[in-house]
Amino acid sequence: MEITMKKSVLYSLMAAALLAASVTFTSCEKVSPQGVLMGNTSVDDRVKQSLVNNSFYEVAWDKELPDTVTEYSFLVGSDSHITFDPGRLEEMLDISINDGDLFCCHLGDLADTKAEYYYNTERALYLATEKWQDKYLEPYFDEGGEAVIDTLFFVDPRTGCLYRKDDMSIVPIFLPFYPVVGNHDITHNGWALYSRLFKSSFYEFTVKVGNKYDRFIFLDSANGTLGDFQIEQIDDGVFWRDKKDIRNTFVFTHTNIFRPSLNEFASTYCREEMYYILDKLADWKTTIAFWGHVHAWDERDFGGVHHITMPSMNFVDHPNGGDDLIVRITVTGDHEYKMDRLGLHCKERSKQELEELEYKTSTKINN
Amino acid sequence: MNVIRQTILTLLFGLAATTAMAQYYSGDRTFDGENKNEVSLSLTTGKNIITGPCIGNTVHYKHYFNNHWSVDGGANLQYTKGLYGFKAKGEYHLKIKSFHMFASGEYMFNHYHDYNTNENVGNMSVRFERGYWDITLGGSLIGYNMMGDHYTEPLTLTFGAHASLRPRTHHWNVGVLFRNYDDFYYENWNINWGLDFYYRFNPRWKLFGEFNIRPAGSMSQLASKYETTGKVGLIYRWK
Repeated sequence: MEITMKKSVLYSLMAAALLAASVTFTSCEKVSPQGVLMGNTSVDDRVKQSLVNNSFYEVAWDKELPDTVTEYSFLVGSDSHITFDPGRLEEMLDISINDGDLFCCHLGDLADTKAEYYYNTERALYLATEKWQDKYLEPYFDEGGEAVIDTLFFVDPRTGCLYRKDDMSIVPIFLPFYPVVGNHDITHNGWALYSRLFKSSFYEFTVKVGNKYDRFIFLDSANGTLGDFQIEQIDDGVFWRDKKDIRNTFVFTHTNIFRPSLNEFASTYCREEMYYILDKLADWKTTIAFWGHVHAWDERDFGGVHHITMPSMNFVDHPNGGDDLIVRITVTGDHEYKMDRLGLHCKERSKQELEELEYKTSTKINN
Repeated sequence: MNVIRQTILTLLFGLAATTAMAQYYSGDRTFDGENKNEVSLSLTTGKNIITGPCIGNTVHYKHYFNNHWSVDGGANLQYTKGLYGFKAKGEYHLKIKSFHMFASGEYMFNHYHDYNTNENVGNMSVRFERGYWDITLGGSLIGYNMMGDHYTEPLTLTFGAHASLRPRTHHWNVGVLFRNYDDFYYENWNINWGLDFYYRFNPRWKLFGEFNIRPAGSMSQLASKYETTGKVGLIYRWK
């Protein structure tokens, strides 16, 4: 009888623990309860959709530097986990526009998955797009030398890229901002929100410098794997620019390979896949591979590739900002570059300040 | 400080428990009091997103010195994966009140032929076991060499749990498991889920098998398919 009582107490405690865990998982924005067993968005589907969208939406434009320009720079940030205040993303884009970087890259977990957070992210990109257009875009001239005002075509004189100034309140995709998708971008069916803005999780572009090309490859590892379809595409040579005269290759993806310390518990790739990726990066003669996800800095050379794992840039991890939350890479030659770590220092704004900038500050329907 | 205190308490607990009277335990992975040698051979097949269909064999030999100490050696040949490995393991068994504790140390070597990668793994774990369930906790140090470079990962947590339908001493059983390791790999937070079974024909012969789902990612990193395998094998014990 005593044993039965003890067992019943034990089972009750186990049931209570399971119930508590269930409530925690289902109420936590950071964790998708079904994701423990099987995610509800598939990397294979995202990559298939991306391949269609890449050409349909012209996701990433190839760039060509004028003959007189021999070096350029770009910024990389990671894990902004935007909720209501996209201030850190705004600050990074401002730095990029003010300092004349050619483009910005983001290593995923851009916003935590809620429609309001993505609305604010979109608005931050819209505001930055306006600044960028004001600074760089010039009216496009037709063959006769007349400005083509009516069609709203503009050209970036630094890269020769032609842009169409669309209704920026809907699709501000022309800002040279290149993200990869992170796991927090896809929880709670977030791919619908992410893909509406960015269209693709698997793409590339090149920057032509002289008669050589620098190649930028963006991979989808939000589920902790590239998935068999993306791997098949890579193995089949979807990055056809292998045939071109490639000078540098830069690779961007969310899930990290190297763990900065033993208390960094974020999951990495399964073992065969990790070795596959390291082998592929070497095969591509990658100059730098950028990783996010783990919210901590790590820098090392491995297999002829320089690996940079980025810290997060969000308000939770760094409420007072930091002097080294993003990096600027200035590309100067063949596997030659200069790296600077830059700070982000803005603090989270009040509800009133955000409302003045027309950001949403609540998840209530009428906000 | 907490880690040191917990380690000391665990050691003291273990030391005190060594005074417990030796008692043979005819559970799945223990000395049965008679047969000191055990060999197992198994066949694994399945599909992995990197290597496609996979097939391979594992073989283990285990020797029980007594009710407390045992050593185990094994080899793994995964033909389509181009993965070859071996391992050696020592284990100490204690009965502590109503459950059994197994403390083990293991060295494992794997060669991934396709990527010319050599992987060395050291693991120390403690398994707590009762009739219907067991849990494992430990740590792994994993290092690998490829393309002329070496990297040792920071200490990785090892964890696992298993529950069975019948008591462990029953002649047949089915169970469920989750863990971040298998016979020939240790992972980070990529959690395997599995179903296993055995049927003991007699004290010497046993059939066993396992169906294992090894996803990439877990929790917030939504799990996605990585590998699915089935394993079936035979164990033979002798004096």
